[in-house]
Amino acid sequence: MSSARNEILEAIRGGTPDADAIAAQARRLRAGACRPERVNGPADVVFLERLRAPGIAATAERVLTMQDFPDAVRRYLTTQQLAPTVALQPHAALQALNWAGIETHAHIGTDELVAVGLALGGIAETGSLVFHSGPASPTLFAFLPLHHIVAVRASTIWPWLEDYADAVSDSPQPRNVNLITGASGTTDIEGTLVRGAHGPGWLHVVLVGDARDAS
Amino acid sequence: MSDPGDFAARVDAALGDATLKRAIERTTGTARTKRAAAIAAWPEFPQARELGRDMKDHVIENLAHYLVEFEKNALRAGTKVHWARTGAEACEIVVDICRKAKAKSVTRAKSMLGEEIGLPHALEAAGIERIETDLAEHIIQLAGDPPSHIVWPALHKTREQVAELFRAHHRDPGAMASVEAMVASARRQLREKFMAADVGISGANFLIADTGAVCTVTNEGNAELTTTPPRVHIVTAGIEKLVPSMTHAMAMLRLLVRSATGAELTQYTTFHAGPKRDGDLDGPEEFHIVLVDAGRTRMLNEGLAEMLRCIRCGACLNHCVVYRQIGGHAYGATYPGPMGSVLTPMLNGLEESVDLPRACTLNGQCQEVCPVAIPLPTLLRGWREKAWQRGFEPARVRWALRLWRFFALRPWLYETAGNITLRVMPLFARHGWISRMPLAGGWTAHRDMPSPSGGTFLAQYRRSVRK
Repeated sequence: MSSARNEILEAIRGGTPDADAIAAQARRLRAGACRPERVNGPADVVFLERLRAPGIAATAERVLTMQDFPDAVRRYLTTQQLAPTVALQPHAALQALNWAGIETHAHIGTDELVAVGLALGGIAETGSLVFHSGPASPTLFAFLPLHHIVAVRASTIWPWLEDYADAVSDSPQPRNVNLITGASGTTDIEGTLVRGAHGPGWLHVVLVGDARDAS
Repeated sequence: MSDPGDFAARVDAALGDATLKRAIERTTGTARTKRAAAIAAWPEFPQARELGRDMKDHVIENLAHYLVEFEKNALRAGTKVHWARTGAEACEIVVDICRKAKAKSVTRAKSMLGEEIGLPHALEAAGIERIETDLAEHIIQLAGDPPSHIVWPALHKTREQVAELFRAHHRDPGAMASVEAMVASARRQLREKFMAADVGISGANFLIADTGAVCTVTNEGNAELTTTPPRVHIVTAGIEKLVPSMTHAMAMLRLLVRSATGAELTQYTTFHAGPKRDGDLDGPEEFHIVLVDAGRTRMLNEGLAEMLRCIRCGACLNHCVVYRQIGGHAYGATYPGPMGSVLTPMLNGLEESVDLPRACTLNGQCQEVCPVAIPLPTLLRGWREKAWQRGFEPARVRWALRLWRFFALRPWLYETAGNITLRVMPLFARHGWISRMPLAGGWTAHRDMPSPSGGTFLAQYRRSVRK
């Protein structure tokens, strides 16, 4: 279909594009970014506030260290009256923890009830979690379970959406970047909001540590 | 799809459908309220909107450059890039990929471009099972309806109608006593289909030039469940969807989501780049992108470049006084409302869709709420002018306008005629309202007209000047 390609490009093209001038203009537009005055405190604190705001279907808590994460998971399972069986994202940092009392498996089933994961980071402005797909972070772990419990380190919370994009702009693009903001929902029937349309119906975020400790 | 020439009949039917009106008002009313709140919470929204407009204009001015850059980076990520001049060509490419993959079933995440190019029909014609995964698209697939809104394609369906459809088609529908139960039933119904599909097809909200990635946004999570389990992922995207980088996309996402649903970000914002990598436990083995022109380069060259800014948020539909009365199906095209009335004459031909640019009060609401400041009323007027020049207006309209011109050029005659009309009209009034009058049947068939009082505009104007 290279003739289609050429025809389309020919139908568009005026003169020869000046790549440097275009890049300079794109940089100017990027610098002009206008963002909501939302992040007016430490990024991790704002992130937690956002997650607890009514606009986002999530619950959130903070623990001191990664070692405290399994306890947070146990508490969640008890509160939600769920069996202690979870799909554990195959990440070394998670596998190294003590999961005594919980049966863990490294694969995700089509009707998985609970998955436990570790996000690459978070975005304070929107209360979003960031996942990069890879061997330690299969995409479906965030989409198949009914309950998704996610740890995220306070030291990897970016203030605004652009801060995340700029931070990764020089690294290779992963196959999937997933920004996840609350549990799955739909308003497709009479505008009524219902959770758990196809993705998780519950999202619980466990913020680990304190950003100031890391610095 | 209904006959495009039968616009008046469809409007009549829609106006007489009280259930439809309630359904439209329920969803668009909520959307307007939520959008207004989101924008009130961000005082710099007007500046952000100007920036969004400038970003889109920048890309459109340098479209060939960005397309080539996107292609280069997509290829580097292992993506196969295809180009299609027309919708038919795009469908052929998609069906061909499906055939080569020996696909029996295909899951689809809602894409307006897919609807525009007729992909659902092409897949059916090729004998491939098509499973719509967006809840609203699932509803209208079961009902056999076309979408009636670009964000809420099933907004014309009430919960009772949805319950009935699910009862008839779902394996395990349950009691269907609440909307929650209906959503749960759809979840059960589609789960296995997601995992069993051979090919997943999605659209693109943005194409990221400097990485070759494709950005999709959903609230349900159906896009990722459509694109991750199957062996093959195909993206169909209009060539205008480009942005220079992910950073630029973030600025556009803020505008898109607030304008569409009033949220700050959709639940799932995903950037897809290429097939499965070494060591990945999931993801497609093949990743294809079909870049579709289908009239876009013509828009660029025929005075409709501003329309290529459109990010398909649906705000202009929710705020349009005409859409809110007649709903999406009356437009008889893929894209309804103000943005549709600009696009359809380009996509389907002006002669066939000449009614659409006329079905507008030019109140300017659509332009006001457009997150990328598209001058929709101006573009609609442009179509009206073209329709006039090409002689597509019916003889009745042409004669009426000639008659009006004759009077308008002779002010004394215009005023005399006005005065006579004002004296005659009250003769038909009962208690100050006119419900029947010769030559006014088109108006009085649906509503009463107040009996005129206070003299002609010119007479009132003169009185106020004298004071």
